[in-house]
Amino acid sequence: MIEVKNVTKKYGSFTAVDNISFNIEEGEIVGLLGPNGAGKSTTMNMITGFLEPDEGEIIIDGNSILKKPKKAKKQIGYMPEGVPLYNDLTVKEFINYMADLKMVQRNEKKENVQKVMEQTNLIEVQNKLIRNLSRGYKQRVSMAGALVGNPKILILDEPTVGLDPKQITEIRSLIKSLGKEHTVILSSHILSEISQICKKVIIINKGKIIAIDTPENLEEKVKDENAVTLTVEDKDNKIEEVTKQIKGIKELKLIKDNEDGTKDYVIISEEKIDIRKEIFEKYAKAHITIFELKKRETTLEDAFMKLIENKDEEGNK
Amino acid sequence: MWAVLKKEIKSYFLSPIGYVFIGLFLAMCSLFFYLDVLNYGSLQFENMFYSAATILTFITPILTMRMFAEERKVGTEQLLYTSPRSITSIVFGKFFAALFVVLIAELFTLIYLAILFLFGTPHVQTALVTILGFFLLSMAYVSFGMFASSITENQIIAGVVTIGFFIITWFLPNFSTVFQPLSLITMFDKFPLGLIAIEEIVSFVSFTVLFVLLTIIVLQRKKSVK
Repeated sequence: MIEVKNVTKKYGSFTAVDNISFNIEEGEIVGLLGPNGAGKSTTMNMITGFLEPDEGEIIIDGNSILKKPKKAKKQIGYMPEGVPLYNDLTVKEFINYMADLKMVQRNEKKENVQKVMEQTNLIEVQNKLIRNLSRGYKQRVSMAGALVGNPKILILDEPTVGLDPKQITEIRSLIKSLGKEHTVILSSHILSEISQICKKVIIINKGKIIAIDTPENLEEKVKDENAVTLTVEDKDNKIEEVTKQIKGIKELKLIKDNEDGTKDYVIISEEKIDIRKEIFEKYAKAHITIFELKKRETTLEDAFMKLIENKDEEGNK
Repeated sequence: MWAVLKKEIKSYFLSPIGYVFIGLFLAMCSLFFYLDVLNYGSLQFENMFYSAATILTFITPILTMRMFAEERKVGTEQLLYTSPRSITSIVFGKFFAALFVVLIAELFTLIYLAILFLFGTPHVQTALVTILGFFLLSMAYVSFGMFASSITENQIIAGVVTIGFFIITWFLPNFSTVFQPLSLITMFDKFPLGLIAIEEIVSFVSFTVLFVLLTIIVLQRKKSVK
């Protein structure tokens, strides 16, 4: 459905997207994941034809976005980052305008506009000016704008940013239900969101693809690592020295210096060794007071951080 | 083109912009009608258009400065340029919408002509030629204003660039007659004499075509920003 082939985009000397390639099949819900500035929006902007890649090719449903933009763009519904909308139009006027822009046939227009307003729950506010709507509604109006014309592909750039938890759940379930009829790409820097909605994750950092996999597989990749988080009071600064004496320790990382004089650490140890008992005993002897000690559950977050760190290290070598 | 044209015209009148432009233009025209025509007991409707052209120079940016600058600032340009519509049709849609508003304002000036008929028989041909010339002038003005709006995301800059350009080209012929063809407002001067000046018409039209094309090129280039 979407083929991205060796695409590169530079802004001056800064490479925003660096030779990325991936394929998305029909009916997939794919998450584009990465820290801020990783190149997610640039990638989406190139897929939608808003920006032209410096190198490479993007093919939408058999049509190159550069060579046959009209045909390719007709297949895409795009919800840009930050939900830009025409504030002086009403909800209905806006959706009608989007339908016109997308060349929806006149006889189908009324029905189509009505349908997307129902899907996105906008019927009640259809005659309100967009400027008077709350953020949650604006998000849905933007979503309706993307949906109108029934495009095969939906591209949603950070669809849940700035919403309250209830609205986030609503938007997520909406995206999930849309995934039944459309191919969906959504970007996010929230990992839990991606693992809930998407069946496939593309992780991007510094313009490069780090991994393409299912959320489950990604979690599996880091599961073999043992991590313990702890909060300690360490007046004599002996923690490093003491920790070194424990067998199987790989790394001690300071996470946070708390205001009350305690410090948060993460200790990573070799697989299948439970170091909690030893930590407790050794620290007590060294007069390091443990306030909290917890074995860390592996999450997609860990997978993500680990993948990004690994790539950074490779890059530095 | 029609989708954009329809929406843009609607936007001009949903916001105060359309009313402010037409209102300001007509208020000033009424003043000039009194000062330049009635005051002299004259029937020469066209005389007020020299002053009207001066005013147009300063109020054109009201219509044009937001055209593309605002779309870029708010981000709605992403909706426009990712739609299947071509940039050319979007530019034409916006251009004709602004021109439509100017045209409405100009058609209202026919009221002054009608008033003159109460006192005598003004020369209708000259009046119509003047209105034609004035329309060509506003077409050229709008095309440049639109171009200025396409190069920035700041409406104020777009407006200042537009007025600045008009004023500079206005006074350039004072330095050397070489610059004569650049001065839009002096090109207009022949029309109130009742002359359908071919040379001037060609100049206005080519100026307009040039800046509409430049707008399209600027927006196309934006896609491949470096």
